[in-house]
Amino acid sequence: MSTDSPKRKILLVEDEESLRLLYKEELESDGYEVLTAPNGKEALRQLEKGKPDLIILDIVMPVMNGMEALEQIMGRERTIPIIIHTSYPGYREDFMSWAADAYVSKSSDLGELKKTVKELLDRDRKG
Amino acid sequence: MILAGGRGERLYPLTRDRAKPAVPFGAIYRIIDFTLSNCINSDIRQIYVLTQYKSTSLNRHIQFGWNILSVPMGEFVGVIPAQQRIGEQWYQGTADAIFQNMYLLQQDKPEHVFILSGDHVYKMDYRKMLAFHRERGADLTIAAIRMDRRSSTDFGVMEVDQDGRMIGFEEKPEIPKTIPGDPEGIWASMGVYVFKTESLVRRLIEDARSESNHDFGKDVIPRMIQKDQVFAFDFRQGDPGGTGYWRDVGTIDAYFEANMDLVSVTPQLNLYDAHWPILTYYQPLPPAKTVLEDVGRTGAAFNSILSNGCIISGGTVRRAILSPSVRVNSFAEIEDAILLDGVEVGRHARIRRAIIDKEVQIPSGTEIGYRPEEDAKRFTVTASGIVVVPKWMKL
Repeated sequence: MSTDSPKRKILLVEDEESLRLLYKEELESDGYEVLTAPNGKEALRQLEKGKPDLIILDIVMPVMNGMEALEQIMGRERTIPIIIHTSYPGYREDFMSWAADAYVSKSSDLGELKKTVKELLDRDRKG
Repeated sequence: MILAGGRGERLYPLTRDRAKPAVPFGAIYRIIDFTLSNCINSDIRQIYVLTQYKSTSLNRHIQFGWNILSVPMGEFVGVIPAQQRIGEQWYQGTADAIFQNMYLLQQDKPEHVFILSGDHVYKMDYRKMLAFHRERGADLTIAAIRMDRRSSTDFGVMEVDQDGRMIGFEEKPEIPKTIPGDPEGIWASMGVYVFKTESLVRRLIEDARSESNHDFGKDVIPRMIQKDQVFAFDFRQGDPGGTGYWRDVGTIDAYFEANMDLVSVTPQLNLYDAHWPILTYYQPLPPAKTVLEDVGRTGAAFNSILSNGCIISGGTVRRAILSPSVRVNSFAEIEDAILLDGVEVGRHARIRRAIIDKEVQIPSGTEIGYRPEEDAKRFTVTASGIVVVPKWMKL
């Protein structure tokens, strides 16, 4: 990423603290600015403050889960690209999950997540 | 899912206090009764009615009149008000109304979903359409009725090939695509859609996430024609009356004409077909009656529809539609008129070519429909001269 273009901003929604820190560090090392939220409700609060360029959304979270958050995000910021990032496959049952731009299963290898983030942000920049 | 949020602005003042689907029609019905009856007669018994504007009248009607299905058997008519469940805005368009209520489809996950409009008067066997839709393996099938090409600016017009496949769709075009082999005819959309649920959900999400009017006719259907299997279903294949009757009743004049059809000897819309009953809500009222038979003071009705609770007492009624509990007093004359529930016409009053909305008291000696300029000072008068007196107006 060149230094003269502003950093792309990612909102990372993940309840497990260790994973949240890990993903944040990894994405920051790729040159992104990373905001975090531990659940859907916090994510919505973050959205009120500013619009990220992309959202990474876990599904199973306390307080407000990812599916409920997705529905609310659809009512506010329908154009932000969204990645559902989960190890729980049952979410596909919910029609609203189809609103996500991409689905990535959680894995210790972050290659696929990083690749998807880049693809969506590139698409968004062009599109 | 029945879209029942239509404001019906061109039906003002009949829509002053009610959404278009709740506008009375044919003496005892509301416009939405026709679509709901079509569902029941087609064995569709899981029905959501999506409301938005001025829905109180519609809610009451459905609550009182349509509480006829068996919830333990999995049947229902559910009235769903706009809930702002997704976001904080009213429905942006017809597609947005369904998108915001997608969760209703979540539980049962039906294979196919009908999206209907609560604004139209017609009889249709949706089973025939569903069979066609399944047979073709369609993602979307739209009911089509032949209309004259000169009326194209009133309709969504479909371009259909010989096999019934839809290859184009335009909302209200000036220069329409005509029917192959019928240069004077167009295929007009009746606002009757059946979707494969999965295709519907995917396309609604796509539409919701893009710059769009969020409207089926303007956005979703044209895009689906590019990507999916979309077919037109000829209404004549599913018309239980066999008369090709379908009316939008979008204007006062069209509304008046469609009602007046009912008092002809053989109306195009047959309400007396036991095989296709039109259901509605009605109060238990005593039967209609006529009284008095003196010279010049005879209670009589000719070529008219009289509902329960009406009394024609020494007045004369010709080519009129009387909703429940209308009273016509001595020496009054009514001609070519629609009198809604509870209207009372005083002695020596004369009414013609008029619609009198609910519970208006017409004082003795009043004349309506005889002097257009005088009428226009007090009432809505249409281009063809129909006078409308709004609900509860004091005269």
